[in-house]
Amino acid sequence: MAQTEINPKYADRIEKLKEKLLTTYPEIDLEDAKILTESFLETQGEPLVLRKAKAFLKQCREKTVTIWDHELIVGNAGSKIRGGILSADVCWSVLNRELDTINTRAYDKFHLLPEDRKTFEDLIRPYWKGRSSYEEWLARIPADVAALRDNGALYIDKKAVRGWGEVTAGYEWFITNGVKGIVAKIEGEKAKLDATRPGDYEKEIYLDSLLIVAEGLVTLANRYADEAERLAAAEADPVRKAELLKIAGICRNVPEKPAATFQEALQSFYFYQISIFMEQNAAAYNPGRMDQYMYPFYRADLEEGRITPDQAQELLNCLWVKFSEQCLFQDAKSAEYASGYPMFQNLCAGGVDAQGRDAVNDLSYMILQATMDTQLYQPSLSVRYNMAKNPNSFLRKIVELIKLGTGFPAFHNDEVGIRMLMNKGIPIREALGWNPGGCVETNLAGKLRAYSALADINLGSVVEYVLLDGKCRKTGAQAGARTGNPLDFKTWADFEKALKEQLHYVIRVVVKASHIIDEICMNRPVPALSFSFEECITNAKDYAWGGAKYNTGNGIICIGVADLINSVAAIRYLVYGTKQLTMSRLLEALDADFAGYEDVLKLCSEAPKYGNDDVRADDLAADLFTFIADEIESYKSKFGTMTPGILPVSGNTPFGVEVGALPSGRRAWKPLADGVSPNGGTDFNGPGAVLKSVANIPHDRFVQGTLLNMKIAPEMLNTDNGITQLMALLKSLCSLGVYHVQFNVVDQAKLIDAQKHPEEYKGLLVRVAGYTAYFVELGKDVQDEIIARTVQTEATSAVSC
Amino acid sequence: MKPVDTSLFGSVLRIEKTSIHDGTGLRTVVFLKGCPLQCLWCSTPESQSALPQKGYARDRCTLCGTCIEACPRHALRLSEDGTRIVTDTEKCDACFECVKKCPSRAMKAYGSLMSVAEVVREIAKDEIFFFHSGGGVTISGGEPLDQADFVKAILLECRDRGIHRAIETSFFASWEKIEPLLPLLNLVHTDLKHPDPVQHKKLTGVDNTLIMENIRKADASPYRFDLVLRTPLIPGINDSEEALSGSAAFAKGLKKLKEVEFLAYHRLGLETYRNLGWEYPLEEIRTPDREFMLSKARFFKSKAPGITVKINGTPVAS
Repeated sequence: MAQTEINPKYADRIEKLKEKLLTTYPEIDLEDAKILTESFLETQGEPLVLRKAKAFLKQCREKTVTIWDHELIVGNAGSKIRGGILSADVCWSVLNRELDTINTRAYDKFHLLPEDRKTFEDLIRPYWKGRSSYEEWLARIPADVAALRDNGALYIDKKAVRGWGEVTAGYEWFITNGVKGIVAKIEGEKAKLDATRPGDYEKEIYLDSLLIVAEGLVTLANRYADEAERLAAAEADPVRKAELLKIAGICRNVPEKPAATFQEALQSFYFYQISIFMEQNAAAYNPGRMDQYMYPFYRADLEEGRITPDQAQELLNCLWVKFSEQCLFQDAKSAEYASGYPMFQNLCAGGVDAQGRDAVNDLSYMILQATMDTQLYQPSLSVRYNMAKNPNSFLRKIVELIKLGTGFPAFHNDEVGIRMLMNKGIPIREALGWNPGGCVETNLAGKLRAYSALADINLGSVVEYVLLDGKCRKTGAQAGARTGNPLDFKTWADFEKALKEQLHYVIRVVVKASHIIDEICMNRPVPALSFSFEECITNAKDYAWGGAKYNTGNGIICIGVADLINSVAAIRYLVYGTKQLTMSRLLEALDADFAGYEDVLKLCSEAPKYGNDDVRADDLAADLFTFIADEIESYKSKFGTMTPGILPVSGNTPFGVEVGALPSGRRAWKPLADGVSPNGGTDFNGPGAVLKSVANIPHDRFVQGTLLNMKIAPEMLNTDNGITQLMALLKSLCSLGVYHVQFNVVDQAKLIDAQKHPEEYKGLLVRVAGYTAYFVELGKDVQDEIIARTVQTEATSAVSC
Repeated sequence: MKPVDTSLFGSVLRIEKTSIHDGTGLRTVVFLKGCPLQCLWCSTPESQSALPQKGYARDRCTLCGTCIEACPRHALRLSEDGTRIVTDTEKCDACFECVKKCPSRAMKAYGSLMSVAEVVREIAKDEIFFFHSGGGVTISGGEPLDQADFVKAILLECRDRGIHRAIETSFFASWEKIEPLLPLLNLVHTDLKHPDPVQHKKLTGVDNTLIMENIRKADASPYRFDLVLRTPLIPGINDSEEALSGSAAFAKGLKKLKEVEFLAYHRLGLETYRNLGWEYPLEEIRTPDREFMLSKARFFKSKAPGITVKINGTPVAS
């Protein structure tokens, strides 16, 4: 299992597939939107969900079908290799605003071909103008929500500018039943209906739309079969010809019938993956626990001698390349908050089975190997590590992948994930089957509906509002609650009360906005996605309408965790504790961004900091985030209790731009801390102390996940002892109840870059002879010495949350 | 039994967390101040003097003069040529007011006085890491035996908490100081810097006769601990075949010996020498590479077959 080099037997194919991918520039792909629009023109007057289903069927009948060279797993959601799809019915206007800038904007550029632009201007825009969800949202957004949003305290538009996503479809159910099996269930439900009974007409329409989706799914696969046969007929190379004929046979079988082999199962899965994407452009359609639902197929193939482990690995690698093809199209602002065309197709290995036993199998290792082999940005690979049940060999494989420095896998503490699901109201029997979704959110395949990350709250702004009586420093506008002049806060208790009032206010406003978005989303049915949700069929009720077995309130996400803790800790320590600083002088210093107040900056910078296992800051991590969780959970939506989470994607940077200097010593407009991680360059006591501090956050209550980024020194990775100790550190993380971690490897390339661009690496801490120091503050001789001691690791780019 | 006096104070340089270099597992390393040796290659020169002391990073200093004003004993002034801050070491009592006030981190504090209770509280914070890694506390230095009572109190407190205990010592101390600690230790790291007494004195300032005698005595003692011999390998200084053969002959006679570890010479201490205003005594020696270390370790192994040999923590295959 210690293999780190790609197997030469299939290296060539994977290299070629990767090259095609990496040399293709992302393009806006309007084919699906065009067909959708044409279909809507044909179906005016019919029920919305039926129109959506018919549009999907038309896409399946008419979309471009291409099988690229060397592929074993086939299919694309659009017509291009790396396409960004537009959900015209949700948010046509996003592209409209960026027609001229989509290829020049700062993040996630796309080519927009002239003919596509013409399609957009002549067909798509005229039809959807005034009909999209985004326009509904803009028309309905309340003044207090807009005030927070426009003053940088809230980011909430993203759900209006893309489809559902943030969901794990019922892939296993889909693959094992086949479309045929599911159709039988739909027919069965339909047979129970009586059109004279109130409500049954609506159900009939709904079930009919699911049957139309079924027809689309089968049609699409058969078109790929036709294409494979066509290519095979013209193929001179007998090996490729045989591959194409095999693909053709597979596409005739699946997804119509239950998958019979490993390759059929993978292909059936991928057809469904592109289908739900065709239906709606969105991030985080999460494949989930692939090592579990694919394993029976793999094992049966092995036992029957139909496949070798190498062949299975090759198929997985081919699928991994497919995962990386699709590009998320989102507006420029959203791209700032999550850049890198982030599809967030979170795929998971490890954990426990339905009986609570060790679920790690050969495929779990092969899934990690596929990411090692391909080193692409998708799938977003996660592990559920169950310390008590999963073997050390699995943990070791995880560390070997970490070592590659791609940022994968996202390491999840299984026990905390299970508790999060239970806290969402899901019984333990099913919670055992949880999977990470998107970034670090918690999901349950084919059973659970919610926007897991509806809105991001800027905790840096909250601190600012407490100190400015609800005003935003940057704009001067009144955006938060009026909590009084801080000069009148005579005691720590006064300050704390104002802080909690601001938090209460912001959360309350966000909940109101969430309810509005819930209402708008009732008009956004997704029959193709609902097709794999068993209860959507038995309830004859769409995913969007709450048809899934479990529904929760949307996720409210906190950004700037360490900024909040450290700012409050500094005020408590300096102003109310040691009284080294008066509130008025602090306010002056913040207003001046510490210019001319270097002594205040020093006091603030050296006040107790989260990330050092120092109770003077860490008790606030526990207290404030218990309060925040209590607040968020005190609200309900029509779907269930509202759900807190801490996952910044890359939102800590644009949020930082909105926030002036903070009492933590952070300068104005700089990025906030990411996730639950300490502020950069403020953790001096090594990784253990970081974990101890982070453990003070009540992770299992932040049921949409908590994200920890840690830097790791090569010394932990380039010796056997180091690897063993990193394994121990990960186990310690589990014991401490921390939910997640992902690692940045501080490799030689990074240190050399830091030598060249010290201004970009101010916070980079390294260990020198027994002490921790800022790398850029060391003499060049010592820097060189440290660089020489790190082993070269290949730098690869990955999108991490 | 007499309770441990946890109010006892010691001179502590710093406490390093989750170290992977100073014994088994993840360790919390307590570096104490004060050392009777002065090895030419010392990488922690700030541990040599017994009391807390001050450092000064000229490169970071903006000559703003804040420290001069802050000093209650008027020990600081601008140098004649106006390029640096000069400390009158006679007047300075290491109150570190200048360190607290310096806006650019140019003034450094090396060490502080801590009670046994404070040190143990820091160690106990890391129990979860000890549990999963088989790690524990390592008392290092400087020379821990210079503060033997303080160390003993810490070890007793750690023993009560079930924490694995290691020491890194030169063994340059009287047997009366050493023996009471041995029953409290699970692991003893001691250096064999050079087997020849004359050379040893030249390199470290002290003769090794007492050291070798103490190692043999400790080895023969009834207490159950593992012994690790370490040699910081300095090219051209203590890496001759003769020196390695001498060390091998000595090591072969030890019953508690778990392994011999060679540590590659490094110059990471340079920064601290500069901050202390000290000359670095070994300026021209380069850091040995892996091949060099391997050849030395293999030679040693050939002279002491059967002994486990490691280089910077990694075992060397035969």
